[in-house]
Amino acid sequence: MVRDERIPGDQLRETADELRDRWPTGADADFEAAVEFHDSLPPSKRFADVLESADRPLLQPRAGVPRLDDQVDLLRYLESEGGADLLPTTIDSYTRDNEYGKAQQGLDDARESGEDTLNGFPAVNHGVDACRDLVRSVDAPVEVRHGTPDARLLAVVTLAGGFESFEGGPISYNIPYTKEHDLAETIEHWQFVDRLCGAYTERGVRINREPFGPLTGTLVPPAIAIAVMILEGLLATTQGVRSLTLGYGQVGNVVQDVAALRALRGLGEAYLPDDTVVTTVFHEWMGGFPPDEARASGVIGLGGATAALARPDKVITKSPQEFQGVPTREANASGLRTTRQLIDMMVEQDIVVDGIDRERELIERTARSLVETAIARGDGDAARGTVAAFESGELDVPFAPSDSAAAAVLPARDDDGRVRVLEWGNLAVPDDVREIHETRLDERARTEGRSRSFRMVADDVDAISDGKLIGRPGTGDGTDAPGDTGGPAGGESDAD
Amino acid sequence: MGQTVILGVIGSDAHVVGITIIEQALTAAGFDVENLGVQTSRAEFVSAAEAHDAGAVLVSSLYGHARQDCRGLHERLAEADCDAVTYIGGNLAVGQDDWSETAEHFRELGFDRVFDAETDPSAVVAALERDLDTTVTETATDRVRVDS
Repeated sequence: MVRDERIPGDQLRETADELRDRWPTGADADFEAAVEFHDSLPPSKRFADVLESADRPLLQPRAGVPRLDDQVDLLRYLESEGGADLLPTTIDSYTRDNEYGKAQQGLDDARESGEDTLNGFPAVNHGVDACRDLVRSVDAPVEVRHGTPDARLLAVVTLAGGFESFEGGPISYNIPYTKEHDLAETIEHWQFVDRLCGAYTERGVRINREPFGPLTGTLVPPAIAIAVMILEGLLATTQGVRSLTLGYGQVGNVVQDVAALRALRGLGEAYLPDDTVVTTVFHEWMGGFPPDEARASGVIGLGGATAALARPDKVITKSPQEFQGVPTREANASGLRTTRQLIDMMVEQDIVVDGIDRERELIERTARSLVETAIARGDGDAARGTVAAFESGELDVPFAPSDSAAAAVLPARDDDGRVRVLEWGNLAVPDDVREIHETRLDERARTEGRSRSFRMVADDVDAISDGKLIGRPGTGDGTDAPGDTGGPAGGESDAD
Repeated sequence: MGQTVILGVIGSDAHVVGITIIEQALTAAGFDVENLGVQTSRAEFVSAAEAHDAGAVLVSSLYGHARQDCRGLHERLAEADCDAVTYIGGNLAVGQDDWSETAEHFRELGFDRVFDAETDPSAVVAALERDLDTTVTETATDRVRVDS
């Protein structure tokens, strides 16, 4: 049975040895040589130090292409033309599924055809030396960004390859990212990853860890995201992680977003040990984007404005081409610059927004209830409690594809656009919190002259790409917002 | 050909929201839906189509790997004597592709209809009502253009 206990050193080494045999590149991942490589890097590439000492929100894009040379060019471009403070390397989806053979085929296809046939950089296939070439070739620190339930081999290779930050966690990379991976087993796999980061930390290489806050990326109630961040933070610190960046994804209501980021920082500092440096990251809107670059830049601008008010340590930016998947490098850099412009124009203004404290109190109370219920279900053990709470549905994530979650919770916006809970499932929240949500959703239902239903959820999922925040009836279907480039006929191409 | 609609996200893709909304819309419209969920292999699509005598197989893909994931799907459906109509929808290529070329590629693979990521669920419902309704005969000119 999984327990929130530190993995012993000999077990860490044994597992690492076994993992290195799973793909030929594993053989090059030698821990001592890796520590030496990290020690050779200049202070400007120390991810944790750069992030923690920043005096303004740092900007980081997502970016990953299959071939090494292209990845180097892309990251250099995002530094020079986008002004990225921190760099990513986004890993392809086959690697995330441990399908290294398929990733190899995609990489071979890319090398042969010159086209990007994978949606990211297959770091395991590239191996340790290629990762070091990448880290050496850019000026800023680089993070591994992915979505891998079993990221052990990826961590072994990329951390040996000089990456100093590693995204993900056992809940946030299981519940939204997989169907069949067992949660208890995923926790064990991430205990290995966190212990490996802890082992580097003990040698003076303080690897930054970043649980993935946006979860399923669509209308996730802030308290649920924050509870998951706290639980993953607790599990990581047990294994020796000392630099943690807790995440949260923009929902688009400014009051709720600022309140949530403050709650995230406050609860992170309250729950996590004093010897751990806690920072926060704000993800610009992770749901569906408008199919129009001008309007998409508006969504990104709202993210920048929100960041200026809430002042997270880091912002993950989006590109105006988000609608169509992986953006061009120009569009990616433009998302960075739009965000920077908004932050720098607003960050020194003293803007007071009404209602943030009240919303923050509601979020904190709800998140505390979720965290404490989970820990109680494990009799004080956060690992066992997390598994038990997801099994009972007391902890749950809307739209979760994983068999380990009930996915009974459904969100909808209230009349003010704040994300509330429409269907609770078995979520462990106090009765008075439920009443507040119910009242707010009833207000919206009255405004719209319809009853609360799944139709509201579906309308809200489409609302921002349709050009508004709240999915009001009669304004979405059948009317294209100006500038839609979706082509004729609702996007169906003539197949017959 | 039966009337059951098989639904799934193909390959290693875990994008679940779209398929959840489509499932709700199809169920509300009265279809018998078998949702295989995310990360569904070609083999799982084929065996579900066989087991349910499917009328339609709807493939979703948002992450860009659809070309590699769909290679051979229609050959396997044919080997299983499955005559279901097949649709695919989502972001079907990595990056900023030319949609008409991408759509043509998937039609050549054998998909009867190809939808982009902006498609409203009602368009899929309307298409299925036409393709699965064997009691009503339509001429091409009767067909209502599906606008979202």
